[in-house]
Amino acid sequence: MDPSSSGIQEPFDLIRLSLSERVFVKLRGDRELSGILHAYDGHMNLILSDVEETIMIVDEEGQGAVNIAKRKMNMLFVRGDGVILVSPPSRT
Amino acid sequence: MDSLIPFTTSGSLVDCVDRKMLVVLRDGRKLQGVLRSYDQFANLVLEDTVERIYHQDVFAELKRGLFLIRGENVVLLGEIDLDQEDDVPLRQVDWETLEPYHRQDVAAKKHREDIKAQVLFERKGFCKEGGEGDGY
Amino acid sequence: MLIFSVFKTLTDQTVTVELKNDLSITGVLKSVDQFLNIRLDSIKVLDETRHPHMMAVKNCFIRGSVVRYVQLPAEHVDTQLLEDATRREAAAQAKR
Repeated sequence: MDPSSSGIQEPFDLIRLSLSERVFVKLRGDRELSGILHAYDGHMNLILSDVEETIMIVDEEGQGAVNIAKRKMNMLFVRGDGVILVSPPSRT
Repeated sequence: MDSLIPFTTSGSLVDCVDRKMLVVLRDGRKLQGVLRSYDQFANLVLEDTVERIYHQDVFAELKRGLFLIRGENVVLLGEIDLDQEDDVPLRQVDWETLEPYHRQDVAAKKHREDIKAQVLFERKGFCKEGGEGDGY
Repeated sequence: MLIFSVFKTLTDQTVTVELKNDLSITGVLKSVDQFLNIRLDSIKVLDETRHPHMMAVKNCFIRGSVVRYVQLPAEHVDTQLLEDATRREAAAQAKR
């Protein structure tokens, strides 16, 4: 086995370790995702399954309070130019 | 045997030529016209173009003529069903009458989006989606 | 090319494309290109009254750069195959 394929040389290698694991994805705008990572490419395009999306809603009246709405999706392609970060799910 | 669909930009657009199309631009404008030409960047030539604005259940049109649209500004290209077009339950009014309402809608939306982006940036670490001119 | 290949295998399936401006369009995926521009037929727009300009549109071409998500039919996606292909593509990228 090629040893360099299991080492971490660059940021994408970190993402490779998360394949078939649940990841947390923060998107530009107002959304966050939690899903199982099945594919990614150099643009950070992602394919996730069993996804829970959290949408931030800003309440204009109540001093800009932030509420959330959640949605579930089975299989999702996420375009890479909207991705801010990908990480393992936060440990609470 | 299945025919090979060319998986190219041209392949997707070829049967839209000489058809009446809706073009939504990144600045939010909605144009309708006959698609005469396109290229691999989805640059478009649109003839007899009309710009439409909408407000509640009312719309208005303005003749704009011949357009060359740079592909990077296109959100979507929609093929208009000429039969369904007559069934659309919207009333047409004069451009001059509707334009101030439309401008108000656009300004209000931008204001809401700006506040939202500011709050989410400061409190939740989000950054703005899209770049300049993304009013769509 | 990986994602492009995935979309090619999903032609004639029903997908939902969500644009960055929150417009959601469900339709049959007819074509895709290397930029992930999408051609959808027989479209249905979610919350049509908020997008009246879409009322008489039955097919559309969506520029890849304005897409936020595409909801895919899970039963037509082989996740194991995807993961293997991703690892291969990542390895090929690293070698360059």
